[in-house]
Amino acid sequence: MNAQDSNILIALIRKILDVWGGFRDFFRFSSSIFSSFQSFKHLRFRSIYTIAINQTRFTGIDALPLIISIALLLGGTVIIQATKNFPKFGIEGFIGNLLVLIIARELGPLATAMIVVSRSGSAIAAEIATQKQNKELHALEVMGVNTILFIVFPRIMGSILAIFSLIIIFDIVAFFGGYIISLSTVFIPIDIFIESLLDSFSFEDLVITLMKSIIYGILIPLIASYYGFKPQSDFQIPIYVSRAVVRTLLILFVINAFISALFYF
Amino acid sequence: MEGNICNNGRDEQEEMLSFDGVSYEDEKSVSLVDISFALYRGETLVVFGPENSGVDIICPLVAGLITEYDGDIYYRKYQIRDFNYLDRYDYRKGLGYLQRNYGLINNMSVEENIALPLKYHSQLSTREIADVVGTFISNLNLEHCRNLRPVDLRQSEALKTAYARSVIQNPDMLLVEHAMEGQCPINSLTFLKNLAMRTGDSDKTTLFVTFEPERFLDFASKFLMLYNGNVVFEGCREDFLRQDNPYLKQYLAMSLSGPMRIL
Repeated sequence: MNAQDSNILIALIRKILDVWGGFRDFFRFSSSIFSSFQSFKHLRFRSIYTIAINQTRFTGIDALPLIISIALLLGGTVIIQATKNFPKFGIEGFIGNLLVLIIARELGPLATAMIVVSRSGSAIAAEIATQKQNKELHALEVMGVNTILFIVFPRIMGSILAIFSLIIIFDIVAFFGGYIISLSTVFIPIDIFIESLLDSFSFEDLVITLMKSIIYGILIPLIASYYGFKPQSDFQIPIYVSRAVVRTLLILFVINAFISALFYF
Repeated sequence: MEGNICNNGRDEQEEMLSFDGVSYEDEKSVSLVDISFALYRGETLVVFGPENSGVDIICPLVAGLITEYDGDIYYRKYQIRDFNYLDRYDYRKGLGYLQRNYGLINNMSVEENIALPLKYHSQLSTREIADVVGTFISNLNLEHCRNLRPVDLRQSEALKTAYARSVIQNPDMLLVEHAMEGQCPINSLTFLKNLAMRTGDSDKTTLFVTFEPERFLDFASKFLMLYNGNVVFEGCREDFLRQDNPYLKQYLAMSLSGPMRIL
């Protein structure tokens, strides 16, 4: 092995150790949430109510125009492609199956999560990082306020509720909005469209949608908060906000693939 | 260094806080070297000294934010370092801490900032909390800005809001860290008036950390000066005014010549 090869190997090992160290650090942070539940009995929900409501509003209601637009465009594209091309293969009766497969099972949760990460994940990371630099977290700590319970917990609650609602809205808009858009190019009778959808939709799909929304609802604010607590100075804030978004997206794709493989393989 | 400054008949009173041979060093080389002092119920201590003298470490040590140090710090005879997770939160719940830069929560109004400790910790109803907060807002002349966010506040309004938040639970001990620096002397009078009422209460203990000890002359029962992490002066109000100590003399005269090397 020459010097260049060994340098590459050393760099690779260093990178793997860095990634491993990052996972351990994140695990420690996540564990601190469980240990913070020790002071749960002291927590009065009126003190976190506003934070949870604001988070739900920002993540859910404020994201609706974007979610609806993207759902319409994605739904329309999928339906137009399916209705144009399925007849060529003689499988036009499977349009409902395709919609459930593509939109309800995969695109809906994933696209919703991506929008939430880019809007709310980045906002959570930036807000916490700014609070840390402004010594607000320090002030909370010395007041005896558990920062994890006060900052992270209501955001997780708000995100779970908002993401679940957004996924349902995304799917409905994608199905029916997409159907309406597709009418400009092809015609499918509405009763056949609905029947095809209902035939394809199973209870399992609903359970998995719920499961994904809970997992994404926990992971997005958790990872964003983890990176929000990281900056040691003002100039590090954009670095960690960017990391929060990129790494959350990566983890979401991995989790999405894992869940799909687990249930549908 | 010996602990009890101006110990006139204080022995029978409850010891609220004591530092016993505390030494601390961090990577920024700010340090404390074998510091000892005791603070009794009802007393007001002013800790001062130049930048990098170690004064900025005192409040974080008392609040239990720093736990890696040598020596012992006791609050009512309980070792702060030995507090477990719940003890530490209970301890901080009962401690007032007016920190440097105030640490007001930026997405909350003045009223919400002041109410936060009560909303989080107390059993009071929302209406009772509103009444208590209203009294503080009125006493501190904050009526005009009760719905403003910290970003819209003047320095003196931010100070008064932070003060109200730190004492709203009526803590037995209050830590005040560099509160008056950069404040308008006229606009901060309401704050000083309220502070004087509090420090005048024989049941309340206060610890000031400041670069301007003379501003607290009216309230302080004793003074402690640090330089390079060591106690270089300790005494009561009269000792402070006498200025027999060369370090104190140089500090108050703001002179470049004296035992302290000025940065």
